[in-house]
Amino acid sequence: MLRILRLLVLSSSVAISACATMNVSSHVQQGLDFRQFHTWTWGPADALPASDARMDNPFFQDHFQGAVEREMTARGLTQTVSEGDVADLLVHYHANIATSIEPAHGDPTSGACYDENCNVRVFEREVGTIVVDVVDGRTNRLIWRGWAQTPVAGVIEDPGKFQKRIQAAVTQMFQHFPRTI
Amino acid sequence: MRPFSRILGAAALTAAAFLISGCAPVRVHASLERGMEFTHYASYTWAADENFNTGDPRLDNNEFFQNRLRRDVDVALATYGLEKATLATGELVIHYHANTTQKIDVNELDYQYGYCEDCHSSVYDAGTITLDMVDARTNKLVWRGWSEGTFDGIDSQAITEARVDEAIAKILEQLPPRR
Repeated sequence: MLRILRLLVLSSSVAISACATMNVSSHVQQGLDFRQFHTWTWGPADALPASDARMDNPFFQDHFQGAVEREMTARGLTQTVSEGDVADLLVHYHANIATSIEPAHGDPTSGACYDENCNVRVFEREVGTIVVDVVDGRTNRLIWRGWAQTPVAGVIEDPGKFQKRIQAAVTQMFQHFPRTI
Repeated sequence: MRPFSRILGAAALTAAAFLISGCAPVRVHASLERGMEFTHYASYTWAADENFNTGDPRLDNNEFFQNRLRRDVDVALATYGLEKATLATGELVIHYHANTTQKIDVNELDYQYGYCEDCHSSVYDAGTITLDMVDARTNKLVWRGWSEGTFDGIDSQAITEARVDEAIAKILEQLPPRR
């Protein structure tokens, strides 16, 4: 009983932290059969959105690209290696950081307030966004865009945390990819 | 119990959506440039793709968003009576721009007047979509219409499309009446 209780507490805290820290979603070309694609490669990025060097650095690229490669492989998509091979899909990404505002409401009943009138405080925080674009190599049209957004404070300075967050972002993002493992 | 809570959840969601949209209604504006006539134009074309910063990385170069917007405009202008032409023959060239920014809705007045019991300030994504119609021959702006409103829900493709549909419909309602 105690073990179940502990498990419940643990799983709910995981669920809460996952919800609180990561916003993941995607847009997709409707009505497209993703089973027709077999190969992919990294493609050139478009001009926007600009990447932020605090996110998009060699450490990030190493872990991020590895994570994406694993997700694609798990879905039966083969990365083309030799030059001159034409891949079915081109993948590119952007990683940027933007300031986001968040209101914090006090709770008058419990008295958990920032001041005696229990006024709302507005906080600013930096949110990192990774956008992954998957482009049809033949038509050069975007067919899927996934993204993950998460506050970066305390994460990008800590390689261990940063690596875990990158991994979680890519895993959760590809759960929206219209081709299952 | 479960179906009931689901209904309750759906009702709460609807109420929340209504509240959010109630706080930040879509506002539209349009202006015909001084001294410009609109009725003699018969055709239009789209300007070449422009890379623009929308202020939200989810929307930057988002072809799904761009295609929806163009499709909506094409449909509305066909109904209005402008023919879609090639870049060489279109009499009007259409440019569009989309921008999002975070806004705070303080609800201060609602609270003072007692419109809401549990007044909360909230942050929402405000979006602006601008459509410009430029005379292809003279390269002068003829007509500009834009809409401002909440753009919350970009994470959902369906909601994003609905926002675009509403914005474009409302903007193009402002076109001068056809003769």
